Amino acid sequence: MSGLKKIAVLVKQVPATENVKINPETGVMMREGLSVEVNPLDLHAIEEAVRLKEKFPDILVTAVTMGPPSADKAVRYAIAMGCDEGVVLTDRAFAGSDTLATARALSAALKKLGSFDLILSGERATDGETGQVGPSVGSLLGLPVLTYVSKLSVGADKLDIERAVEGGHEKLSSPFPALAVVIKEINSPRLCTLGGKLKGRKSDIKILSFADLDIPKENVGLSGSPTKVVKVRYPQVTRKGKKLSAAEDFDGAVGELLKVLNDNRVEVNA
Amino acid sequence: MSEYGKITPAIVAELRLAIGDRNVIYEDKDALDNYACDMAGKIFRHDPEIVVRPENRDQVSAVMRIASKYKIPVTPRGAGSGLAGAAIPIHGGIVLSIEKMNKILEIDPVNRVAVVEPGVVTNDLCKAVVEKGFLYAGYPMSTETSYIGGNVGTNAGGGKVIRYGSTRRHVMGLEVVLPSGAVMELGGKFRKDTWGYSILQLMIGSEGTLGVITKVIVNLEPLPGKTVNLLAAYPTLESLVSTVALVVKSGVKVISCELMDRFSVDVTTKYVGTTLPFQDKTEAYLLIQIEGEGDDELENAYEKVGALCLEQGAFEVFVAESRIDSAMIWNVRQNLAEGMRSFDPYCSLSGDLVAPLSVVPELIRTIARVSEKWNVRTAVLGHIADGNIHPIPIKPDDMTPERWGVYSEEYFEDLIKEAVKLGGLGSGEHGVGFLKLPALLHTKTPEETAIHRAIKLAFDPLEILNPGKLIQEK
Repeated sequence: MSGLKKIAVLVKQVPATENVKINPETGVMMREGLSVEVNPLDLHAIEEAVRLKEKFPDILVTAVTMGPPSADKAVRYAIAMGCDEGVVLTDRAFAGSDTLATARALSAALKKLGSFDLILSGERATDGETGQVGPSVGSLLGLPVLTYVSKLSVGADKLDIERAVEGGHEKLSSPFPALAVVIKEINSPRLCTLGGKLKGRKSDIKILSFADLDIPKENVGLSGSPTKVVKVRYPQVTRKGKKLSAAEDFDGAVGELLKVLNDNRVEVNA
Repeated sequence: MSEYGKITPAIVAELRLAIGDRNVIYEDKDALDNYACDMAGKIFRHDPEIVVRPENRDQVSAVMRIASKYKIPVTPRGAGSGLAGAAIPIHGGIVLSIEKMNKILEIDPVNRVAVVEPGVVTNDLCKAVVEKGFLYAGYPMSTETSYIGGNVGTNAGGGKVIRYGSTRRHVMGLEVVLPSGAVMELGGKFRKDTWGYSILQLMIGSEGTLGVITKVIVNLEPLPGKTVNLLAAYPTLESLVSTVALVVKSGVKVISCELMDRFSVDVTTKYVGTTLPFQDKTEAYLLIQIEGEGDDELENAYEKVGALCLEQGAFEVFVAESRIDSAMIWNVRQNLAEGMRSFDPYCSLSGDLVAPLSVVPELIRTIARVSEKWNVRTAVLGHIADGNIHPIPIKPDDMTPERWGVYSEEYFEDLIKEAVKLGGLGSGEHGVGFLKLPALLHTKTPEETAIHRAIKLAFDPLEILNPGKLIQEK
């Protein structure tokens, strides 16, 4: 038996690429034309929730995301992995939210959806790379926030975790409800089964809009975001490389190379 | 066998003068050692007398003129990733490595071709053309090591043949240096040519017996739509095989359809440090890559194929859509050969049977029967929708490597005879080299081998280019 009845997993849809590009004019991430996927680090949170559900079948696992309407794909993926249901928080009013505004919206939604005993999130999203939303949600909800969780077990009325710290692991216990930010060491996310994918595809996804939440408009969206991107700059490569080709004129190229080394006071032992 | 000349200090000097000191390896035992065998294994090694590494066509031509003059055998060599010994210098002489001719010369979007030197790693070509919005559809499983020149030489197949065909289908033009040193341009950027016999096609799959490839023009395909990978875990090989024909005729766009048996998966997952689901009870896995224009088409396609797998008795079908999941599964498939080698460094990777799809179930039963008869443990994997199966036999513990070198090829010879009885072939994509030559000669008619010889002599009257490979020596 466990005291755990309801788990929420926070997921985010991210561009399926390692080369996120920022619009230099607006400072906003360029998502157009990129294929999307569930943030790879969130898969570990989903996996952990599903493993708990497999251990304690009475648990209800809800995947929650905020994003455009098409972000339903992310929660459908979570259902395909074994979550019971999915919720998408979507509204024009949320557009441009930074991590704090996003956490406000998500925590209001979680409050609205009922009392969760455990909220799981991934370490950070591979697009924004901040790692702030999970802990912020926990803190706005007034929950104990357990970060860098590498092992998690559920007792009758408490949660026992191990968290990765510099040089080792720390063991902590926490009462429910709590929010745990898991790291990828915690598990290996499963592959979705065909049956799971069908369930994910056919599930009714609950949509929540701004009007469904009990928060002031100035707390969300661009205006509710204290973070302002003033300017985005790419690092400039300052080294001036020069290519010498030995294909045409070997001796000439070697001579030139020796001169470059000499000019830069590199000692050459011929 | 023809009488060949030997490398003398005077010939070495001539070669050095022609292509530069830095492109000649001579009397450096360690350096020469790298050119003595290919992936067939060290037990089949032969030492070259000298290795030349020309940087361009003119240097290749100069080497061939010198070799012709002194009647020195020349073994062209790509990445050395071949499995049939085609790059092994069985008569010593010169190994001509194309490793320094490794430039992508042009990616031409209007004509949808890439022009490359033969020493370009196939994977580098694939990456370069993707950046320009194209696909190079050749995909041998050694794609990260093998060279495009070697792919052309063996008419390499691989994991996407069911969709795109073998290397033969992708080559539009070649520049070739003949044994005399003369240069021949074959094909080009054009897509039609009705004149005469296709010397271009003759050159593809000739394993360096007719000429040395110095430039390749390949066709580029548009990038595929979205893809998804299905991994189906089966209780028996038989139930897996019965799915394949149904998948092929389902109308779904199948890019790859790969068989991995439990033995090969067990050793490979250990080698790469991962596990596949159901590994404790699965007898074989089917890995299917499917393409679709949009999400809906793709989802409908994989549902259809997945349902077929389950109907035929698969325990479960897993859907790998993300980069991470797809890479995890393909990492196992791409490492099967390495995984088997880590388990047994002497396991033979040269098995390369092909049969019509309808008799593949019988072919797989035959492999089991013959393996039992020869008392060898054999892993079975391959590109099953092409009917191309790679049996990988393991050296018995009590057998010496030298004995195994002979024994394993006799085992393959027996297997090839059985495959031919079923209407199949003894080599689908690895090439013939010298390892498979004795077994395959039995499967060809005297008329066919006579024509092969006549063609060989038309190109190479002195028989200096890769002698003893692909066709019998005089």
